[in-house]
Amino acid sequence: MSDAALTHKRSFLSLFRLSLTLLWRDWAGGELKLLFLALVMAVTSVTGIALFTDRLEQALLLESANMLAADRVLSGRQEVPRQWITEAASQGLQTAETISFTSMVFSDTANLLVSAKAVSSSYPLRGELIAADEPFIRGIPVEGGPVPGEVWLESRVLPALDIDVGDSIYVGEAELRVGKVLVVEPDRQQGGMVDNAGPRLMLNLADVPVTNVIQPGSRVSYRYLFAGDEDTLDVYGAWLQEQSEGQSRLRDVRDESEEVSDALNKAESFLLLGSLFAVLLAGVAIALTAKRYSERHYDYVAILKTLGCTSNQISVIYISIQIVLAAIAIVVGWFAGWIIHHLILQILSSIIVVDLPPASFQPFIIGSLTAFICLLSFALPPLLALRHTSPLRVLRKDIDQTKIGAHVPYIVGITGSVFLILWYSQDLVLTSVLVLSVAAITLFLSVVSYLLLRSSSSVGMKAGSAWKLAMSATRRRRKQNVLQVLVFSITIMSLLVLTLLRTDLIDDWQAQLPENTPNHFLMNVTQSQVEGIQNFFDENGIEQNIFYPMFAARLNSINGEPPRSRFFDGEEERGNITERGAQQAEQGDADDAVGQESASEGSDSTGSRGRRPTRQITWTDILPPDNQVIAGQWWDANTPAGMVSVEADYARQLGINIGDEIEFEANQQTFTVAVQSIRTVRWDNMQPNFYFIFSSGTLDHLGATYLSTVLMEQEQKILLNDLLRLFPTIIVIEIDALIEQIQNIIAQVTSAIELISILVLACGALVLLSCVNATLDERFRENAILRTLGAGRKLILTSLLIEFASIGFIAGIIATVGAEGSLYYLQEFVFEQDFHMHYWVWIAGPLIGMVVIAMLGINSTRRVVNVSPLNVLRQL
Amino acid sequence: MIRTEKLTKTVPTSEGLLTILKNVDLDIAEGEAVAIVGESGSGKSTLLGLMAGLDSPSSGDVVLDGNSLVALDKEERAILRGQLVGFVFQSFQLLPSLTALENVMLPIELKGDPDARNKASNLLSRVGLEKRWHHYPNQLSGGEQQRVAIARAFASEARILFADEPTGNLDTATGARVIDLLFELNKEYATTLILVTHDERLAEKCGRKIKLVAGEVVSDRKVEEITHE
Repeated sequence: MSDAALTHKRSFLSLFRLSLTLLWRDWAGGELKLLFLALVMAVTSVTGIALFTDRLEQALLLESANMLAADRVLSGRQEVPRQWITEAASQGLQTAETISFTSMVFSDTANLLVSAKAVSSSYPLRGELIAADEPFIRGIPVEGGPVPGEVWLESRVLPALDIDVGDSIYVGEAELRVGKVLVVEPDRQQGGMVDNAGPRLMLNLADVPVTNVIQPGSRVSYRYLFAGDEDTLDVYGAWLQEQSEGQSRLRDVRDESEEVSDALNKAESFLLLGSLFAVLLAGVAIALTAKRYSERHYDYVAILKTLGCTSNQISVIYISIQIVLAAIAIVVGWFAGWIIHHLILQILSSIIVVDLPPASFQPFIIGSLTAFICLLSFALPPLLALRHTSPLRVLRKDIDQTKIGAHVPYIVGITGSVFLILWYSQDLVLTSVLVLSVAAITLFLSVVSYLLLRSSSSVGMKAGSAWKLAMSATRRRRKQNVLQVLVFSITIMSLLVLTLLRTDLIDDWQAQLPENTPNHFLMNVTQSQVEGIQNFFDENGIEQNIFYPMFAARLNSINGEPPRSRFFDGEEERGNITERGAQQAEQGDADDAVGQESASEGSDSTGSRGRRPTRQITWTDILPPDNQVIAGQWWDANTPAGMVSVEADYARQLGINIGDEIEFEANQQTFTVAVQSIRTVRWDNMQPNFYFIFSSGTLDHLGATYLSTVLMEQEQKILLNDLLRLFPTIIVIEIDALIEQIQNIIAQVTSAIELISILVLACGALVLLSCVNATLDERFRENAILRTLGAGRKLILTSLLIEFASIGFIAGIIATVGAEGSLYYLQEFVFEQDFHMHYWVWIAGPLIGMVVIAMLGINSTRRVVNVSPLNVLRQL
Repeated sequence: MIRTEKLTKTVPTSEGLLTILKNVDLDIAEGEAVAIVGESGSGKSTLLGLMAGLDSPSSGDVVLDGNSLVALDKEERAILRGQLVGFVFQSFQLLPSLTALENVMLPIELKGDPDARNKASNLLSRVGLEKRWHHYPNQLSGGEQQRVAIARAFASEARILFADEPTGNLDTATGARVIDLLFELNKEYATTLILVTHDERLAEKCGRKIKLVAGEVVSDRKVEEITHE
C-alpha cells in the first residue's frame, strides 16, 4: 500500500473512531437518547406489530378456517362433477366431503328428528373433532369422524332416544352402532340454518347409500372442503370458476360469515392504521430530535472544518453515527418487539385456542427497513445540512446556517412517509386519500394555529406580568410555535382518533354480541304453544324473550305502483338471520328447489309470481332491541291497526316514505297499510330482525307461527330434549357455537387493538417530548438572561407554564376538530360505522393538550431555574 | 507566506451593501508575528477569517503559501487549512465531547498520523497539562482550555497560526501566561503568527502591527519602529 493510501485509510479510521467517540459522548450527555428512543420505538412498533399481526392473523385465519373445517368450501344443493374433486387432489390440495340432511332416527323405544351429517374419512381438514365415550362430559380431540357402520351423537340425543354408547339406532334403512358422543365439530354452524335445526348425528359418508334416506327431491346440502397453500387454492379456485362458467366458486370464512368477516376486516384496518400512526409519529419524533441534534452540532462542525475536515468527511462522521445508532436501535427494537408480541400472546393465551405458527423473519426485515427509511427520510436531511456549516461560525456564532434548501427536509420527509404508507397498506387509493387528507389538515392547522397565535397579542397585554411575558414569548417564537402547535395537534389528533375509534369499535362489537346474547332460535311455534313454552322456561329458570308472530307476505305495491329496486334485480342484500332461518324452516324438507346456494340464500323469494319480494313480517307494540326509529313515530298499544314500520335501508332502496300506502299479500288476502315509522336495524346482532313490523290488530286475524330466542347455557341444553318432547313440531336452531366462535374472535382482535393503541400512545408521547425539547435551547437562553437581569424563579416558571399551556390548549382545540373530522371519514367510509360526535372530547381534548404539554414543558425547562444562569449560558 | 490583494468584503443589509473590508493589501513573510489591531467592528476578525480561508472575499484574493484561495473551492480550502493552518480562538472552540488529549489528537489523526497519542500527550505536557489529559473542556478552567487550544493548534504542525483575541476570555494574569506560552511555542516551531487583538500591549509583543479602521489599513509598521518613535 502506498504512503498516500495508508494515510487515507488511517484518516478514515480516525474519522470512524471520532464518530464512535462522539456517539458515545453524546449518548452519555443525553443528546442522542431521544433520537435513539424514537428509532427504537419505530422498530419496536413495526416489528412488534408485524410479529403480532403476522402470527395472530395466521391464528385468526386458522381459527376462522376451523369454522369451515377447511380453508375453502364449495357448497350447494346438488353434487358437483367428480372431476372437480379429483382435479383439486391432483393439484395437491387436501379434500373432504360432507352431506347434511334432516332425518328421523329411531331407537327401540323412541324417535327423534336430527340434523344428520355424513362425513368422508379425511374430515375435518381444519380444526378438530372432540368426542367422548359418554354424554355430557368434555371429551378429547379425535382423529377423523365415525367409521362405516357407526354414528356419533350429540349428548342430548342419547337420553332422548333412551340409549347408551354402544347401542344401535336406525337411520333410514341402516342400523348403525353409536360409537361415540360428539362434543365439538368445527363447522357446526355451516350448511344453512335448517341443517342445524336439530341435534347432530354424524355418520360416515359410505353409509349414506345404505340408509337410503336421500331420494330425488330430498333437501340435502353438499359441502366440499379444500385445504392447502394459498396460491394453490387460488389457482384451483380460478380453474373451478372457469369449469363452472362462473356458476360456482370457492368460498372462505369471509364469504360464509358476515359477522366474522366484518370483525376481521375492521381489525385489519385498525391494525394497519395503528401501525401507520406509530411509524409516522416515530418518524416525526426522529425528524424533531435529529433537527435539534444537528443544530447543536453546528459549532462542532465549524471547529472540525477549521481543523481541515472536508464536507465529505463531516458527512462520513455523522452518517457513521446514525448508522451505528440505527444498528443498535434495530437490535434493541427487535428484542423489544419480540418481548411485546410475546407478552401480548401470553395475555391472550386463554382465548387463542389454536397453536400459533412460528414467526417468520419478515417482521424483523420490515422493522429494520423501517428504521433505515425513517432515518433516510426524517433524520438525514438535517444531518446532511451539517456538511454545509460554515467554518466561520468559530468567529461569528450569529452567522446563518447554510441549508441544503429549506424545503428539502420536508420533501424528503413527505416522500418517505408516502413510501411507508404505500409499503404498509399496499393500496394506492388509500395512500392517496391519506396523503391528501393529511396535507389538507396540515394546511388548515397551520393557518388556524398561526391566526390563533397572532391573536394572542391583544390578550397578553391586558394581563399580569407573567402572562405578558408568556404571551410575548409566544409571539416572538410564532413561526416555531406554529410548527410546534402543528406537531402537537397532529400527535394529539392521532391519539384521539385512535382512542375514539378503538372505543367505538369495541363498544360496537360488544353491543353486537353482548354477554347474554340469546343463543337458540325457536321457530314454527303455534299460538297455542306459546304459553306452554313460556311456562316451560319459567319452570326451568331460563330467561325468555318476546315471541314474535311471523308469516311471509308479498309486497304488491307502494302507493299503487309496483316496487322497483335493485333488490329485485338479483343483487346481493344484507344478511338476515331471521329471513334465512324462517324461509328455510318454512320450506323444510318439502322444498324441491335444488341448486347452488348463494350468498343471499334468504333473499327475496320471487318465484313464479313475478319479481315481487316475499318478506317475513311481524307485529308488535314493543320496538325490538337494537332498532331505532329515525323517521316518524313508534306506536303504542292504542295506535289503530293498519300501520307499518319499515327498515331504513330497505325503505331507501324502495323509495318508501312516511305516509306511503303499501299493499301486501298473504294467505291469499291483500291488505294495505300506511308507513308510520322508518327504523334502523342492527342486522349483525344475531337476533330476530324484520324489514316490516305492523301495528297490532292489522294482521292478527291471518294466523301466524311464532319466533323467539332464548339463552341456554351448555349445562341447560339437555332441557331441549324435554322441550322437543313436549312440543315436537317446533324447530330449535342452535347458534351457541357460532356466537361463541365470533365472541372469541372479537375478544382476540379487541386485545390486539388495545396493544396497538398503547404502542401508538407511547410513540405520541415521544413526539410530544421531542417537540418540547426542540425549542428548549432558545427558551433556556432567554430565561437564563432574564434570571441574570433579576427575574424571579416564580415569574419564569409561571410564564413558561402559561406559554406551554397556551400552546397545548390551542393544539388541543385544533386536534379535537381534526380528530372529529378524521373520525367522520374513517367511520363512515372505512369502518362502516355510524359517526356520532364525541362531545366529551371537545372538553377533554383541549384540557389534555393543555395539561400534558404544560407538564412536559415545565419538566423539561425547570432546569433553567434550578441551575445557575452562567452554567446554562455556558452549556449553550 | 500570506499575501492579500485588494481584499474586500461586503455584506448585504437592509440598507444596501455594507463594506467591512476595503482593498486590503498585505504581505506577511514566513515566521513573522503580526498583530492586527483596531476597534470593535473595524474588520479584524473578518480579515482573519478571509486570510485563513474560513470565508470568501467579495473581491480581491488571499495567497497562502503560494495558493490562491479564490481559486480553491471550500473543500480544497479545508484541506489546505488542515495542512498549513492552526487556530487559537477567544472562546477556545474545543469539542466539548472530547477530552483534552482527544482534542489535541484530533488534527493529528485527521492527517492520518499513527503517532497522534504520543505527539498530543507531549504537547499537553509542554503546555503544563500533563495531569489533565482526560478532563473534558467543562472540567478545565478558561486558562487551561486555552492552553489545550494552543497545544491543538501546534499539534497539526501548522506553519501559520491564527489567533483571534486569545486572551479575551481570560483574566489579566492568566492571559499573560497564555500569551507567553503562545509566543514561546511560536518561536520554537518557527510559525507565522497572525494575532488579532484590540489589546495594544499584546500587539506590541509581535514584530509588526497592522491597524484597521472601518475596514481599511491605516497603519502597517514594525513594532520596533513604533517603540523607537
